[in-house]
Amino acid sequence: MMRRLFLAGTLLFWLLLSALWLASRQSEPPLADIPAPALRTLPLAEVARHATPADCWMAIDGMVYDLTAYLPDHPSKPSIIEPWCGREASEAYRTKTKGRPHSPEAEKLLPTFRIGRVAQP
Amino acid sequence: MPPAASLRLPLLVALLVGLPVFWAFPDELPCLRGTAIVTGWIGCGLLLASLLLMVREPGLASWLGGLERMYLWHHRLGVVAYLVLLAHPLALAAASWGEGPALAWAILSPWQQSWPGWLGWASLLCLMGGTGAALARRLPYGAWRQLHWLLAAAIILGLAHLLLLGLTLSLVWAPLLAIAFIAWRLLRSDLGLAARPYIVSQVDHPADAMVEVTLRPLDSALPALPGQFVLAAFGSAQGFHGGGEYHPFTISGIGSDGRIALGIKALGDCTRNLQAVTTGVPVRLQGPFGTFLREDEAGPALWVAGGIGITPFLAALRQGPLTGPVCLIYLHRDTRDAAYSGELRALATHEPNLRWQEITCGEGLPDLAAALPAAEELAGHACYLCGPPGLIEAAGALLQQRGVAIRHIHFERFDFR
Repeated sequence: MMRRLFLAGTLLFWLLLSALWLASRQSEPPLADIPAPALRTLPLAEVARHATPADCWMAIDGMVYDLTAYLPDHPSKPSIIEPWCGREASEAYRTKTKGRPHSPEAEKLLPTFRIGRVAQP
Repeated sequence: MPPAASLRLPLLVALLVGLPVFWAFPDELPCLRGTAIVTGWIGCGLLLASLLLMVREPGLASWLGGLERMYLWHHRLGVVAYLVLLAHPLALAAASWGEGPALAWAILSPWQQSWPGWLGWASLLCLMGGTGAALARRLPYGAWRQLHWLLAAAIILGLAHLLLLGLTLSLVWAPLLAIAFIAWRLLRSDLGLAARPYIVSQVDHPADAMVEVTLRPLDSALPALPGQFVLAAFGSAQGFHGGGEYHPFTISGIGSDGRIALGIKALGDCTRNLQAVTTGVPVRLQGPFGTFLREDEAGPALWVAGGIGITPFLAALRQGPLTGPVCLIYLHRDTRDAAYSGELRALATHEPNLRWQEITCGEGLPDLAAALPAAEELAGHACYLCGPPGLIEAAGALLQQRGVAIRHIHFERFDFR
């Protein structure tokens, strides 16, 4: 009984994973970059006005991102990312989890939330 | 087993699964994302419970209904945990499916991960390999045992995955407990810190391909009772190499000076090797385990023994006298196989409560319909079965057909793989 469950579960897992991979190969790449010149310029004071999980902007490496829609999908607990809403978060972004950078997947995902450049003081 | 005692194990499992899920429950996440997190923690809780149930402590085993029951649940919970943990990455991908298949795949693709993702994948693959090996009954025992280390690796890698994802302080107890359970098992059982030293003081051969070793305690003796079993690791001495691995053996005799006798039939590599054991070989014993013959049942009893399954009944008869009438049916393949026949005959002459019957049944299943008492003779009897699994199943089914309630039929399968 347990062996059958193991075999059925394992087979189903690899089938679903293979189907997902095949579907991803046939779909359009969703992570198109937004051309930087079209972005507006936003001061850090403006970023600071969006400092709640329901309205969360962050400044990372000179760009401003509206991460409100992404917060529920962030892999870590909300208490780790939410304190950075409304703030300059470049260092936190580069050194998450004890100094390690974010994954290549995160690097691809981040530009999709870009809404502007940080205004130079 | 009393109803209250039978509830302890499921309640403990519910606690170990429920607590991490309660603490980590995502209140404000979308449904599929929340499902992914919950499946991860349910899997962790089930693995925690499975790890606790591999700890071999006589007190814990007795409290949870016996070592055999613990191992059964250990296996079941391990497989269910594996299946639930398979759902964890799939639910993560499903949560991103709405944003396109490419993003959903990117959530799982090992080529687009960082350390937390790689560790999660490594843990899952170790769990897959280890669980598959644990369920492979044809695997040689040595390889089967070695491949269990994949499961330990899966636990460690899974913990690292959690820690790198940012484990909050309120959940740190879960990985610490998992490490504690592994260390407990490793140190106390596998490395033998819980074992007591004995030495082989006597060796007899009561039948073909069978040896009975009498073990003298070198320190305090185990508080063993008839019907129980011990885990024994035989050492090396005088040209004999025991291998030092712990294997279960039913006690066939208990001396007033703490000596313990084990009847060992040559059924596998280890037990074949033990046929050549000599006096002076050091042995380490863990236990005692098991509740067989200790069920709180007054009145007459039927004992059915198949082959080497005579040992727990022999231990009870040797310790005698019996407190109630007992009918013993001893089934064996041929007369050369009939271990302890002479001793049983002698014991029966001094034991007025014992009525016994010896049946030589040759190859194949014995004619149980003729061997077992009729329905009217079984009224009010507690039935105890010990022997090969096929015999136990057939005898148990027949006894039920003859009106014996399942709660009055007691047996131990003795299957720890």
